[in-house]
Amino acid sequence: MVPRYLSPSLLIAGALVLSGCARAAGTATADAGKVVVACGATEEWCAAMTSAFTATTGIKSEFVRLSSGEALARIQAGKSDPEFDVWHGGPADGYAAAAGHGLLESYLSPNAAAIPGRYKAGDGAWTGVYVGVLGFCANTEVLAEKRLRAPESWQSLLDPALKQDVGIAHPATSGTAYTALWTQVTLHGGNVDQALAYMKRLHPNVLQYSKSGAAPAQQVARGEVGVGVVFSHDCVATKEQGFPDLRVTFPSEGTGYEVGGVALIKGAHDPVSAKKYIDWALTPAAQEIGPSVRSYQAPTNPKARRSDKSADLAALKLIDYDSTAAGERKLELTRRFDAEIAKAPKS
Amino acid sequence: MPGSRGRTGAVRTQSPSEDPPRAPRRRRRETSVLVAIIACVALVLVGSVFPIGAVLGTALSPQAWPRYVEFFTSSVDLRILWNTLALGVLVGLAGTAIGFLFAFVQARLDVPGKKVLHLIALMPVVSPPFAVATATIVLFGRRGLVTHELFGLEYDIYGLDGLVFVLSLSLFPVAYLGLLGMMHSLDPAMEEAAMTLGASRWRVFRTVMLPLLAPGLAGPFLLLFVEAIADLANPLVVSGDYTVLASRAYLAVTGEYDTTSAAVYSLILLVPSIGVFVAQRYWLGRKVRTTVTGRPSGTVHLITSWARWPVLALAVLVSLVIVALYGTVIVGGVTRVFGVDHTLTFTHLREVLLGVGQEALKDTTLLAAIATPIAGVFGLLIAWLAVRHLPRSGGWLDFAGTLGVAVPGTVLGIGYLLAYRPSRYVGDLEVLPGLVGGSAVAGGAVAIVLAYVVRSVPAGLRTGTAALSQLHPSLEEASKGLGAGPLRTFRTITLPLIRPALLTGLGYGFARCMTSLSTIILLVTPGTHIITSQILSAANTGRYGVAFAYCTVLTALVLAGFGIIRLLVGRTTTLHRVSGRYAR
Repeated sequence: MVPRYLSPSLLIAGALVLSGCARAAGTATADAGKVVVACGATEEWCAAMTSAFTATTGIKSEFVRLSSGEALARIQAGKSDPEFDVWHGGPADGYAAAAGHGLLESYLSPNAAAIPGRYKAGDGAWTGVYVGVLGFCANTEVLAEKRLRAPESWQSLLDPALKQDVGIAHPATSGTAYTALWTQVTLHGGNVDQALAYMKRLHPNVLQYSKSGAAPAQQVARGEVGVGVVFSHDCVATKEQGFPDLRVTFPSEGTGYEVGGVALIKGAHDPVSAKKYIDWALTPAAQEIGPSVRSYQAPTNPKARRSDKSADLAALKLIDYDSTAAGERKLELTRRFDAEIAKAPKS
Repeated sequence: MPGSRGRTGAVRTQSPSEDPPRAPRRRRRETSVLVAIIACVALVLVGSVFPIGAVLGTALSPQAWPRYVEFFTSSVDLRILWNTLALGVLVGLAGTAIGFLFAFVQARLDVPGKKVLHLIALMPVVSPPFAVATATIVLFGRRGLVTHELFGLEYDIYGLDGLVFVLSLSLFPVAYLGLLGMMHSLDPAMEEAAMTLGASRWRVFRTVMLPLLAPGLAGPFLLLFVEAIADLANPLVVSGDYTVLASRAYLAVTGEYDTTSAAVYSLILLVPSIGVFVAQRYWLGRKVRTTVTGRPSGTVHLITSWARWPVLALAVLVSLVIVALYGTVIVGGVTRVFGVDHTLTFTHLREVLLGVGQEALKDTTLLAAIATPIAGVFGLLIAWLAVRHLPRSGGWLDFAGTLGVAVPGTVLGIGYLLAYRPSRYVGDLEVLPGLVGGSAVAGGAVAIVLAYVVRSVPAGLRTGTAALSQLHPSLEEASKGLGAGPLRTFRTITLPLIRPALLTGLGYGFARCMTSLSTIILLVTPGTHIITSQILSAANTGRYGVAFAYCTVLTALVLAGFGIIRLLVGRTTTLHRVSGRYAR
């Protein structure tokens, strides 16, 4: 160990360089005439959106596809010198969490006036660009083998004939499944115990609580389970991949939904262009792009034409989904779900 | 001569104090070694220690403390810890066993078709995320083509059984390659001696071969254990209700927006990794078994009795499963929906090769090609320093080098964000510009290459350490005695002797770069497109045809890379045989 002093001094030198302070960025007012988007939807959707924006406005745009949590982690790590200007797509609870950490800049777009109040944050932290409705995805062939019909209500999902034949994700890890859980809370008048009691009765029918919210759609498509609790657009998109036996139904008691957002990042380097992007994302033209790239969420702008493959928000019985309350009680509910339900034997 | 070989062999285990096989310490260190040390320390410091430290800073901050109490009192969390350990041990055992089986067939059996088996055993080195796991579900799941259609079973592959199956098959090649290299360099004279003394084949295997290979078995077991418990993509697909720490940490980030919990889970995940590492050093450090003295003599006696057939049958069975899985991936890339609609179509491949995938193919290959040689060199360099030059502190260097795979990729990715996203200043002087993100140096590519390097160094490091700890230092000492400097000795003596390890390290490292997902996903920028993040996107939306097509192309690229690496590295002849003759 000749240079005894060497290793420590190397370490110290390295640590010195690395621990240099991260200086807060000066307030950027200049605008480079381009938009960098953190995009939370599918690769195709992101590419279609940014290129359509550039074609419409002539402003350059580029994107990185990130899931909500990844986007949030990345925006948080870079808050002193943001690399993104806009966050577009992905569930609004992620946006709410980001707003809670002070990572978003409120922006009330003039175009946001057209968006119904339930699909946007009152203070302009984020505005909804699409709505995904929770539904059932049934494999009619598998159900026919068991002489069952596609379920039309939350109650019919409890049918003992569906033992281990329901696919649903874990509410702690999947926004889809948490939407389902909070839907139960709302349907039971806010009574958490009764909502968990419903999940407990459903438990014997659940094959497994998968990690990702879209996974049950795949399980249904491959016939591993008869019914999946998923966002209806996931079921439609899976059907289009070449699984003609899939059928979407909605529960008659009422169902929950997720809102996909768009928001301005605090300290964005190109705030002017970013605002233009948000204005554009709320227009009917922008919201009609989704179905062309197999994203069948419903538009939030009532003036946007609805694809016949998207859920008809006007015709469905939607519950009054309080996403703020849902977000606040998430930890408590998922902990209880883990302890009281997921561990129970399935007999 | 045979006497001296017997002394260093496995017949007797000796403690280092009796006959220290390493070079004497406490001499003035050569400048070249010093430079090597500085380079390696700098790499692990910048590449893994500092970013991981940044995450652990979060994990140890006061607001995280209650999470530990929660963790160790919650039966749900403890179950996850137990699940993780069970998975690591099972995959370590199963993967090492499969690797040993294939290496044994290759090195010791007199059977036809060994070349084919070798190629099949190399296939899983390229295991693109999601591909093997998804193919497993399609073939062996509840409605699997094999389990359901062929045998009429409704077997539920989701869970521990499916995970061990997928992970052992994906990870065993590193065990195979390491063990194969070692079996080839085992001195057959030892076995000959045992047989001359009347020992049966089985007895020779048990009392001579196995003890000699023990360091080689422990190395892959360690690597497999750490990789299995840190793996992310497979648990996401096949774990069902069986939750492990790595996927829990990832989902804490993506599902709960809770980086603190993720850091806590990761810190707890690090403990068993460190534990296995320390145990291995302690256990192996006490028994020194060197066999390659540079003078292997005698000839290998291949097994020709009936006993070779059942062993071969087992290897063939495993090979068939691998071929079926990869066949599914390839066929799945050119059919509309594999398992449902088997119409031939090239739309998936066209999208990958000519459409949006083209950029990703170019970028990923370029970045991986830059990172691979760096990782290979550093892997061996760290192994060499740790085994030969730094008897005490070397262990820490070794461990720091392994950190890249010991932590879940997501955590490393977050660490990179925290550490390198902001530019660093000392006073007003910018000492380190931001490395992550589109606005960073070289469009964020530096961070991606660095992450690639750090994630692939352990492959070369582990195989290098195993090969070096088997290599008696006498040859290197002789070289030094004749006046060659340590780096020259390393280049002209050591390196040729452990060439298989270098080959393994480079090949495996390249494959790792190309298939790395969870770290990279947090580092991609608008300017750099990465294949695996495209695969993730396709798999997330259920477009498995496209995902499979990507995997097929990715596999082809990696195999081409292997060919090139073999051409470049394989030019050196196997020196030890030659030098053996000169030594006499």
